[in-house]
Amino acid sequence: MITETKRKPIRQQFADTMLEVGKEDPNLVVLIGDISHFVLQPFAQACPGRFYNIGICEPTIVSMAAGLAKAGLYPVAHTIAPFLIERSFEQIKLDFCYQKLGGNLVTVGSAFDYANLGCSHHCYDDFALLKSLEGTQVINPSTALEFDLLFRQTYRNNFVTLFRLSTKQHEQDWDPKDVRFGQGIKVTSGSNLTLVVTGPQLRNALTAKPGLEEKGWDPEIIYIHTLRPLDTELIRASVRKTRRVLVIEEHMRSGGLGDDVLRITHDLGGIQFGSLSIPDKFVRGYGHYEDHCKALGLTREGILDNVASDFGL
Amino acid sequence: MNEDLRKKIAEMVYTAKDGHIPSAYSIVDLLAVLYKHVLKFDPKNPKWPDRDYFILSKGHGCVAFYTILERASFLTQADLAKFCTKEGILGEHPDCNQVPGVEASTGSLGHGFPFAVGIALGLRIRGMLSNKVYVLVGDGECHEGTVWEAAHVARNLRLGNLCVVVDWNGSAEQLMPYDELPKKWEAFGWKTLVIDGHSEEQILSAFKSVAFQAEGIPTAIIAKTVKGKGVPMLEGHGVWHHRIPSQEELATILEALS
Repeated sequence: MITETKRKPIRQQFADTMLEVGKEDPNLVVLIGDISHFVLQPFAQACPGRFYNIGICEPTIVSMAAGLAKAGLYPVAHTIAPFLIERSFEQIKLDFCYQKLGGNLVTVGSAFDYANLGCSHHCYDDFALLKSLEGTQVINPSTALEFDLLFRQTYRNNFVTLFRLSTKQHEQDWDPKDVRFGQGIKVTSGSNLTLVVTGPQLRNALTAKPGLEEKGWDPEIIYIHTLRPLDTELIRASVRKTRRVLVIEEHMRSGGLGDDVLRITHDLGGIQFGSLSIPDKFVRGYGHYEDHCKALGLTREGILDNVASDFGL
Repeated sequence: MNEDLRKKIAEMVYTAKDGHIPSAYSIVDLLAVLYKHVLKFDPKNPKWPDRDYFILSKGHGCVAFYTILERASFLTQADLAKFCTKEGILGEHPDCNQVPGVEASTGSLGHGFPFAVGIALGLRIRGMLSNKVYVLVGDGECHEGTVWEAAHVARNLRLGNLCVVVDWNGSAEQLMPYDELPKKWEAFGWKTLVIDGHSEEQILSAFKSVAFQAEGIPTAIIAKTVKGKGVPMLEGHGVWHHRIPSQEELATILEALS
């Protein structure tokens, strides 16, 4: 297993992928809001005239990106999540989606990654917001490899695609052929409990597995990097077998992956459902990412506790 | 000036029982000149790659836009007759996915202008240097922060292929009396012209004076206009912003335009 410190940061992979794809595709254009300026310099140098640090005006960045799409280009708009998604939501809705234009929204500051910066820099409703719009795709890549592969598979398919880049990564290495847009990954097979996980929390799910097994559970872990379109077939097949599902995500409960899993499995009948997510409240206070995770129960122990409280045994 | 278009606008609003007559009357002369003398377009091929782009950022002025698009052969009289009906393609804000000749679906103010800035930048990136981008914003729309974000960006990117027309019909000063629009556009570094937005000669002269270039200073044409221009009953900032005329009032409007 590769330790976290040896892994390439996803943001660095974003810059590397822009460089590589940009060299191949003259229609790729990157607009940023004074974030990742330095890391994107290789792209700026290699692709002159296709990198713009627009400044601190996120709604205009999104509208301009839509205008670039109108002119036949493949735009990438990039800055901190709440400013690109929440502040600029109407621009995404009207200038991209209503006009049926495609583009890419690449955010940093996943959920509460910017833990010490407070709620102004948090964003844990981005899945819900993007899923509420016609013509969108939602991708939560949690390793460098996942971002690279999923961006290349989708960036010019005429949808508006959110790529939520997290600072933390899980520690699973995938065979590249298994990272397919819209397809979940069955990480472990099990028989009486399904854990559906997205984002860095896969690490906690895997570390919780032995503890769950000690208590008699045989968990099947399904990892989801693409939340829209969701791999309903994989999730339903698992839950049909195990009859119990706990969804783990760094997103508000309302509108998150958990809601989708509940919606696509409720008709199976007799299913037990649990959600380990962010309550519909602000994540107040400061500290590190791990401090917020601990407070929210997004930990190995939190998973054990939730399984016990939701499903017994 | 353009009495036939103004009559048609009033009749469409009367028939549909919806629409903004005064907002349409303040821009119809600008659009008439733009489509008659300035823009490159092909109604048989609305997505002609060599076309110029026009974005009506103040989407609620669309009834004027529709009559102009009909005159330019993008639309038919039958299309106009179905304004705001279930069977038609023309709503109270323009929809680019339904209406030929419409480049952007607008309505919520402050969107069309930054969208146009993106188009202008995109055309330059693609080396499409003969296409020009025109965008019309309202003076009330200039209360939106995104207008000034985009003005700032466009000037700094030196989008010389972009021309904004501001419909300075006095809506803004109803709310915010300090309303020195020309000074504001000049302060943002734009080449700024102030004209009578109901003078065909001044409108045409202003458009002809724009030095379009791939990289250069963008131009703002501040057009002094009158809401409801041409019909004394409608002029100004009273109840007529979104009012539908009765049969008798329609007759009064048509008489004033005859």
